[in-house]
Amino acid sequence: MLSYILRRIVATLPVMAIVALFVFSLLYIAPGDPAVVIAGDQASPEDVERIRQSLGLDRPFLIQFGSWVWRILHGDLGTSIFTNLPVSTMIGQRLGPTLSLMIVTLLLTIVVAVPLGVVAAWKAGSLIDRVIMGFAVFGFSLPVFVVGYMLAYIFALELEWLPVQGYTSLNEGFWPWLENLILPAIALGCVYIALVARITRAAMLEVLQQDYIRTARAKGLGQGGILFIHALKNAAVPIVTVIGIGIALLIGGAVVTESVFAIPGLGRLTIDAILRRDYPVIQGIVLLFSFVYVLVNLMIDVIYTLVDPRIRY
Amino acid sequence: MDRRTVLKGLAGAGGLALTGGLSAPAIAQGAAARTLRFVPQANLANFDPIWGTQYVVRNAAALVWDTLYGIDAQLQPQRQMVESEETTDDGKTWTFKLRPGLKFHDGEPVLSKDVVASLSRWAARDPMGLMIIAIQQELTAVDDRIFKWVLKQPFPKMLYALAKNNAPCSFIMPERIAKTDPFKQITEYVGSGPMKFAKSEWVPGAKSVFEKFADYVPRQEKASWLAGGKRMLIDRVEWIVMPDPATAAAALQNGEVDWWENPIADLVPVLKKNKNINVDIGDPLGNIGSFRMNHLFAPFNDVRARRAVLMALSQEDYMRAIVGDDTALWKPLPGFFTPDTPLYSEMGGEILKSKRDFDAAKKLLAESGYSGQPVTCLVAQDQPITKAQGDVTADLLKKLGMNVDFVATDWGTVGSRRAAKTPPGQGGWNMFHSWHAGADCITPASYTAIRANGDKAWFGWPTSPGTEKEVTAWFDAKNLDEEKAAVGRLNKAALDDVVYAPTGFFLGYTAWRKNVSGITKGPLPFFWGVAKSA
Repeated sequence: MLSYILRRIVATLPVMAIVALFVFSLLYIAPGDPAVVIAGDQASPEDVERIRQSLGLDRPFLIQFGSWVWRILHGDLGTSIFTNLPVSTMIGQRLGPTLSLMIVTLLLTIVVAVPLGVVAAWKAGSLIDRVIMGFAVFGFSLPVFVVGYMLAYIFALELEWLPVQGYTSLNEGFWPWLENLILPAIALGCVYIALVARITRAAMLEVLQQDYIRTARAKGLGQGGILFIHALKNAAVPIVTVIGIGIALLIGGAVVTESVFAIPGLGRLTIDAILRRDYPVIQGIVLLFSFVYVLVNLMIDVIYTLVDPRIRY
Repeated sequence: MDRRTVLKGLAGAGGLALTGGLSAPAIAQGAAARTLRFVPQANLANFDPIWGTQYVVRNAAALVWDTLYGIDAQLQPQRQMVESEETTDDGKTWTFKLRPGLKFHDGEPVLSKDVVASLSRWAARDPMGLMIIAIQQELTAVDDRIFKWVLKQPFPKMLYALAKNNAPCSFIMPERIAKTDPFKQITEYVGSGPMKFAKSEWVPGAKSVFEKFADYVPRQEKASWLAGGKRMLIDRVEWIVMPDPATAAAALQNGEVDWWENPIADLVPVLKKNKNINVDIGDPLGNIGSFRMNHLFAPFNDVRARRAVLMALSQEDYMRAIVGDDTALWKPLPGFFTPDTPLYSEMGGEILKSKRDFDAAKKLLAESGYSGQPVTCLVAQDQPITKAQGDVTADLLKKLGMNVDFVATDWGTVGSRRAAKTPPGQGGWNMFHSWHAGADCITPASYTAIRANGDKAWFGWPTSPGTEKEVTAWFDAKNLDEEKAAVGRLNKAALDDVVYAPTGFFLGYTAWRKNVSGITKGPLPFFWGVAKSA
């Protein structure tokens, strides 16, 4: 197993290299010029050119790419064109809020979606099943920002139960941390819950037709035991797969959610950097996201072995 | 590896990241009343007010750095860091003396050498500063408190240049910082203004924090915009960036922030209904909407085509598209200068004031030789003001029978593409939209958009000798009457040649909680004199 994990980690290197080349090339050919943004409206073309030179943006593509890769290999993601802060510092500042949002959303999804899917499969064809699947369709169809605004209006403005915006570090207490994340996590989690609930239901339906389930029932095993111990474990592989794939959904959704709830996370940093053409920051974040995605896939593969002993690498 | 090991590992890694000093420390409840939470117009992405000329940087910098002179609410330059000044009879030598007791945030005294270095850096980036450099003989420190600027010819607008609030302002920094190349960012944010910048709490794109500078010595006069005694009544100002206006509105209603600099017009009715919120015009100098035509290429290289557009243009359409139906927020602008300011003029404005005449406009357009070639119109969709103007312009041009190539893009791309002098079909353009802060359009001094000196002019590169002649006349004017006369002629010349098309004058609101007092109207948010009750 350990050698498999190591091999997979090594295999991420060419993936990251391709991502790096792709991102760098894309930004190079994309319209827009950070020097123009920095120079401001009143700047002369000479001013813009001087700024471009000072940023090294006037150099040929290969030299720019080469020096960027060289820095990356030395563990340096570069410095933001605009803030003059190291990209790693900026990402570090934003990692906590995004990670918090993702973890809370992930937990919320698992706690809500899996039982919903199990119950829907158990009561397949019944009113409960239809209600749950109706909710799933609804949740999947609603854009994140619409859900976000609705939640903020009801729970923050009308009921005054939760804050509208912001993020509080876990250092300042569990509840202050959580209360800022509840609404964003629900908004972000809606699509995810819908997806996981549907997949759970489908996987469970298949498993519940198996002979060993009938045998378990015949032995007099309780419904809860059958569903959550025998059936769910055997239905877990596709569920875990979807949860893993859904991380990409979360990364994309976090961009919108963080804007709606003014959470200072990586999603907002990404948007800001793109709008300003802050190349080093964009490159750093995309590399990070790619790495996270590759890592999540690896984790999913490892988790397969934990939920299904037949899977071995 | 078993399930427990995996879970423990995940929990450990997650916990480390979540608790690892990733956000600002909480403030105690008792301090809340002395902390003002402010939602600025934009993200403070950098903090060098000379290197970055965005308004948001200027606004934040005004807290941290002081200036030699400050512009007051009557638009007059007043002494700020300067105690006195003298000028020789020939107007070529200016001698300034600093106030005693001025200190930087690092405890060092403000000395003449700091001023000399700061003015040198500022002048390299500022249009008025460049004019001074062009006639400068020397800028030297005479002693610790006295410095001298010797010119080859008089520069009557010297005090205005040092006081003006248009970016870049001539902020005074310690010499070691001010010696930084003006085209490179500074890395230390040490000023002598009323607030210190808490760099350790700065999360660009999210939050900036300013703390009261205990050793600041305010002037004795009453504060008036950037002049007078800048007395801080709050200990801490937190700028909280909120990219989504709906979130900012909700946060203000919920009491999570105290002051929102620029609520969008659509949300103002909701805020006005809230009994805990005050809403008022933020900046009485407002903004001037514009679209610029490229004077280098057909069809707008012909003044008749430009005038045809001006004849058909309805400023009301533009203004309603930008600010909605609130008529208190806009007014027509048959000229280029900010209404209700001393130099405002409508001379030559008949073309914008008379009835819109599409038939005459079409005739004039045909006379210009326009024959249906595509007109490339750059419209930034991520800026509500440019998007609104772009939609109106597209409709206007179509009504004129023009073939519109509507390029819907983002502001970053417009910013880059508008600098291209290539033909429109080869990456260039025919027109783009923008707007100018009214504070920048009070005089020709910092009004880059009105200049018409061809290659050296702002994007669109208009050439209008009549306009340029009057800009010079304004700089040479010896009194207000002469200035008014020059600007009147300038307004007419610029309209005759259609240096650019003004789409109207519009205002914006600002909104704050009722437990906050002392907010004044002005071209930037002023925090001195602002208090907050619990």
